[in-house]
Amino acid sequence: MSRIRRIILCAVAFLVLSGVVVPCLHAESALGMIRKRGYLLWGVDVEGGAPYAFPDPRDPSKLIGFEVDLAGAIARELGVEVRPVQNAWDSLIPALERGDFEIAMNGIEITPQRESRVLFSRPYYIYTEQLVVRKEEAAITDFGKLKGKRVGTLSGTAAQTMLEKIGGVEVRIYSGQVEPYEDLATGRIDAVLLDLPIAAYYARPNPKLRYAGEPVGEGFYGIAVRKGDGEFRDRINAILGTLMQSGELKRIYEKWELWDKTQERLLKQNTSPDGYVGLEESRKAPLYTFLPALLKGAAVTVIISTASMALAVVLGLALALSRIFGGAPVRSVAAAYIEAYRGTPLLIQLFILYYGLPNIGISLSPLTAAVLGLGMNYAAYEAEIYRAGIEAVPRGQMEAALSLGMGRSLALRRVVLPQGFKIALPAITNDFIALFKDSSLVSIIAMVELAKTYSILAVSTLRFFELGLVVALLYFAMSYPLSLLARRLEDRLKGAGK
Amino acid sequence: MITVKDLHKSYGELRLFKGIDLVVRKGEVVVCIGPSGSGKSTLLRCINGLEFFQQGEIDIGGIELHSINRVRPSRADDETLRKVRRKVGMVFQHFNLFPHMTVLENIAEAPVRVLGLSGKEAEERARALLRRINLEEKVRRYPSELSGGEQQRAAIARALAMRPEAMLFDEPTSSLDPEMVGEVLAVMKGLAQEGMTMLIATHEMDFAREAADRVVVFDRGEIVEIDTPERIFTRPRAERTKLFLSRVLRR
Ligand SMILES: Nc1ncnc2c1ncn2[C@@H]1O[C@H](COP(=O)(O)OP(=O)(O)O)[C@@H](O)[C@H]1O
Ligand SMILES: [Mg+2]
Repeated sequence: MSRIRRIILCAVAFLVLSGVVVPCLHAESALGMIRKRGYLLWGVDVEGGAPYAFPDPRDPSKLIGFEVDLAGAIARELGVEVRPVQNAWDSLIPALERGDFEIAMNGIEITPQRESRVLFSRPYYIYTEQLVVRKEEAAITDFGKLKGKRVGTLSGTAAQTMLEKIGGVEVRIYSGQVEPYEDLATGRIDAVLLDLPIAAYYARPNPKLRYAGEPVGEGFYGIAVRKGDGEFRDRINAILGTLMQSGELKRIYEKWELWDKTQERLLKQNTSPDGYVGLEESRKAPLYTFLPALLKGAAVTVIISTASMALAVVLGLALALSRIFGGAPVRSVAAAYIEAYRGTPLLIQLFILYYGLPNIGISLSPLTAAVLGLGMNYAAYEAEIYRAGIEAVPRGQMEAALSLGMGRSLALRRVVLPQGFKIALPAITNDFIALFKDSSLVSIIAMVELAKTYSILAVSTLRFFELGLVVALLYFAMSYPLSLLARRLEDRLKGAGK
Repeated sequence: MITVKDLHKSYGELRLFKGIDLVVRKGEVVVCIGPSGSGKSTLLRCINGLEFFQQGEIDIGGIELHSINRVRPSRADDETLRKVRRKVGMVFQHFNLFPHMTVLENIAEAPVRVLGLSGKEAEERARALLRRINLEEKVRRYPSELSGGEQQRAAIARALAMRPEAMLFDEPTSSLDPEMVGEVLAVMKGLAQEGMTMLIATHEMDFAREAADRVVVFDRGEIVEIDTPERIFTRPRAERTKLFLSRVLRR
């Protein structure tokens, strides 16, 4: 058997196994395990998680939120305690499957795609989507007026699907619930469509924002448990029934100002909405249907990394030269810049640039912020690489050039820099490849590049594995030619002199 | 041509020159000898402005190096410095050819960039120089492809391409294998015969004896003796000269 055939077979076997084996990993029943252990593990994302579950502003070591109250009630009925497990919202379902916790409850909408992976309890809340605009907005009066507008929402939500169905809407995907409203207030986007509880908590108190039209769409939040934990799910259903009958659930919702007429229908919705088979369209779709979206993401990645590298090269050179040849004040400014940018995480720099600067009246577009953020960060690293390269050029080179009557800058440009560049080239290449991969960080400022495209697609189809392989391949296909190019360049420079 | 008066030079705490005087007249060949660390290189580097000095005067064909402000040079100061360096060529112990340029590019670079010659004129000038030192077939080679002797000859040609009025040589043969010393010294002798003003630091005593008009003996930052080679090598007056010569000539 040829080596290539064997590799392909292995890959196929891995794909098949990864799809089949996962649900069978947990032999013991969840219910039995929870009782024995004495506590229930609850998967939840508390980052920007109000009013669902979030750290109490008065005592951040404590979690509060309507789901915290609900989880407490359920655990009490089970006769155990509840322990929240922090997990990124995007990947609550895979983490549940992996066995990180027994229930995932965090405003997870019951959808056919998700039902193909997990079991849902009967609904514990009926959500609607609320459109929010700026106070002075006149054109967008309701959901029907969104064509051609920039609308923000959360990744992997029902609202995202609704927006994509309209067509012609520029959908901006965020991973936290605070940021879309921030961007709306500063005018970076025109509207935000999100679940009503989120709008009620974050947008209603904001004097710059207002609701546009009635809530639209309707769906259910359900508690997710692993496939195979049917008995456990039935127990949860029974407990939810009790909480509704006794009025406790209503009291919780009233406390959080979430109770409305719609919720009265919860009582009638007394079965899990499974039973009808999920369409599983996206789950069965061949991989190439995702290719256009992924390639678009890849293009954004290429644009961001080349633009920011160009900035890093120019700014880095200026910094290196200031640091070596500048006067004392210039030198210390350059050194301070380099230390500050190298000594703080890129993530924080991006946050400050994008969400912090609007506080002092500077509002950058996501692309500008991404390029500036990456470019200014990498300039610090480039500067040090250049400095090392320049300082590795023997002093005699500069002296020989000066003794021929050249000025300092001419000598630098014609004699020292070309040699320093050759010395620095391997490090520069390395840096560019690193920047290329770091460009995935800009997804936190609403840039949908390749990595973000992947997480959006993977979350909505739950095909983390195959899509992950495709995306990894795409990244490699872009960075490998870069290494080759650099090696060719190095060889050519090597040909020219020692 | 070159006048050094009462030169004081310190490296930090180390006070090297405490008042040095030297005059090199037009067309004269002056050779500096003396133990390592006695200050020969420092004097040459002061003369073409690679080192600055604390006190004293250096006059190069009418240009006063001592009136340049080296701490905060103005535009005019930079220009004066460049003018001095165009008048005075320098050859280094380690050649300092530009490794990323061919021999031709090494030689043509400054005439084009500094004197504003066209590429063609500069190339002709370079080829003529290379022909004179028998290196024309190496024009397209990189320095790393040349022998040490060839590299130093190319470096001399590079300095000559600026048509300097005087040349400084800082131990031009000290990093060469013995069999290549001769070819470099031959080029320098040729130059001397053509009437080039030269100030040379070297350990080649035979060369000093044959080519020098005057020999300057350095010791610990002082000029011990200046005289004709004949007198220095046969009837030195200073004790330190005798000591130095007895040490180098015994080898
Ligand atoms: N850049 C420098 N910094 C400090 N001391 C130096 C420097 N260059 C030379 N010196 C010192 O000055 C003295 C004279 O050096 P140099 O002029 O190179 O002597 P020579 O060329 O005669 O061997 C030596 O003691 C040397 O250590
Ligand atoms: Mg020396």
